[in-house]
Amino acid sequence: MNAETSLSGHNKKLRMTTEQSPKVFRLGESAVVIDCTNDFPQASRLCIQRKIWWLADRCRQTDEFIDIVPGMSNLTLFVKSTNRINYWLAQLGTLWLQAKEMSLSGRNVEIPLVYGGEFGPDLEQVAKYHQLSCEEVIRRHSSGKYTVLFLGFQPGFPYLDGLDSSLFTPRLAVPRLSIPAGSVGIGGNQTGIYPASAPGGWQLIGRTNIPLFTPQSIGSPTLVEPGDTVQFIPVTSLEFKAK
Amino acid sequence: MTKRNSIQVLKAGLHSSVQDLGCTGYRHLGITTGGALDRHALILANRLLGNSDASAGIELTSGIVELKFNRDTWFVLTGANYRISIGQRDIWCNWRNKIRAGETLSLRGPKSGMRAYLALEGGIVSEIRDDTNNNLQLKSGSLLEARFSGVLGAVLKDGDRLELGQAGTISKPIGAVQRGYSNEIRALPGPEMSLFSEESKKAFWNTSWQLTNESNRMGARLSGIALSLAQQQDMESHAVMPGTVQVPPSGQPIVLLADSQTTGGYPKIATVIEADLWKLAQTRPGEEVRFVHVSPSQADDAGYEWEQYFYRLQRAIDANG
Repeated sequence: MNAETSLSGHNKKLRMTTEQSPKVFRLGESAVVIDCTNDFPQASRLCIQRKIWWLADRCRQTDEFIDIVPGMSNLTLFVKSTNRINYWLAQLGTLWLQAKEMSLSGRNVEIPLVYGGEFGPDLEQVAKYHQLSCEEVIRRHSSGKYTVLFLGFQPGFPYLDGLDSSLFTPRLAVPRLSIPAGSVGIGGNQTGIYPASAPGGWQLIGRTNIPLFTPQSIGSPTLVEPGDTVQFIPVTSLEFKAK
Repeated sequence: MTKRNSIQVLKAGLHSSVQDLGCTGYRHLGITTGGALDRHALILANRLLGNSDASAGIELTSGIVELKFNRDTWFVLTGANYRISIGQRDIWCNWRNKIRAGETLSLRGPKSGMRAYLALEGGIVSEIRDDTNNNLQLKSGSLLEARFSGVLGAVLKDGDRLELGQAGTISKPIGAVQRGYSNEIRALPGPEMSLFSEESKKAFWNTSWQLTNESNRMGARLSGIALSLAQQQDMESHAVMPGTVQVPPSGQPIVLLADSQTTGGYPKIATVIEADLWKLAQTRPGEEVRFVHVSPSQADDAGYEWEQYFYRLQRAIDANG
């Protein structure tokens, strides 16, 4: 069930923390989710995510999980044995109280990007939605320094923190059936890059030709990892070569 | 090293692909599990041939598939109902049969159901399995390369050649009865079920949903009464998985399947139980399904029924095989 267990407080102090304490619930038959969205905005997205990284790291050491998947201010644990679901439903809230902000030593990755036109078919709509010029949307988007919070959706797709709040734009009502690889989009309060052609509901504002996922790579198969920072460099054509 | 069997793909059909049971452990990189949409059908086929459950076979979606064999090979086709023939000879589904070197196996369908699984004695050899179909111990980099650049998951093309693992010691045909399809799909309420309007909650459980022809290996896209949240709100991205029923703002639910994304931002109204996920792989565009609300313990029971099915199957194979 989607039974939400919050920490039951026997004293006033605990009860006060209950309001913003994480939601812990079961997902399907073999996954447990801890959702710490309510810690925002008292804590920043990045601060919350640093604690998610810590929690993921702790869980990785137990060898009890098939997959440990961070999302935005949340973490999903796919258990090896469903017998352990109840244990983790009870345990995760307590662990969260102990969680520290884990800092991952990140690199800075520059990604050249062609904005608008055929490469960013939704740029004008995004500009219109915010009553800004396209140039201003580009300026605001490319002046950001974004931190990779987690990877998800498709191989190597980075969820980035740091989008200027004046660019927050709702997702498309009907997701596109196919989006070209390298497309950069805005979905709600997030911006990100599609590493491969895929269906998706984000508003597309530009495109890069830097590969984000190289499975044959000897090192990491993904261009960026959680903790890295990303900067978008506006360019006028896709004639550039990947680094 | 023994000479391997191989087969030549004369006609690939539409969306035929090589599938095993997929892989886990990489979802934090955005890498989905993949594998056969109807896992039970692939396992059944592999069991009938004495292959390991996870051996790779061919997932057929539609069209005419023709395969030419260069050595005698036992094979079986499970899942959707296909017309199977070797020359003028018709072959039953769900029965293992032997095809001889030089002969061509012809598969036409589906007559009913949606996806069929052709398993071959020894399994299809891929970069991540050796001759005897054991998993190779690979470094993660090369495993990923095999998953993304190799045979597994690849859509077949006319002219492809597939290698088979070592033949076993099968001597006679045997068959099995598949579990029956129904369009009642059992599901657990999803974490965001409570955010939907009362009418939408009722509509989800009590009305029929038509599978649209935009459905694919990533998701079964459904069409019906538009579902809406009681109060509009944007969700944060969170993990999703095969079985997750997500509802984009269009209100038309999508049941995520084996090639789904690993995270998504739409509210999750339900989760199809693992025991029933195969039914979505076997529903054809235009056909209707209904969702049936179950508890986690009922989901456990449904999983246990599959375990019993395969237990009894294995006993019968061991006694007759």
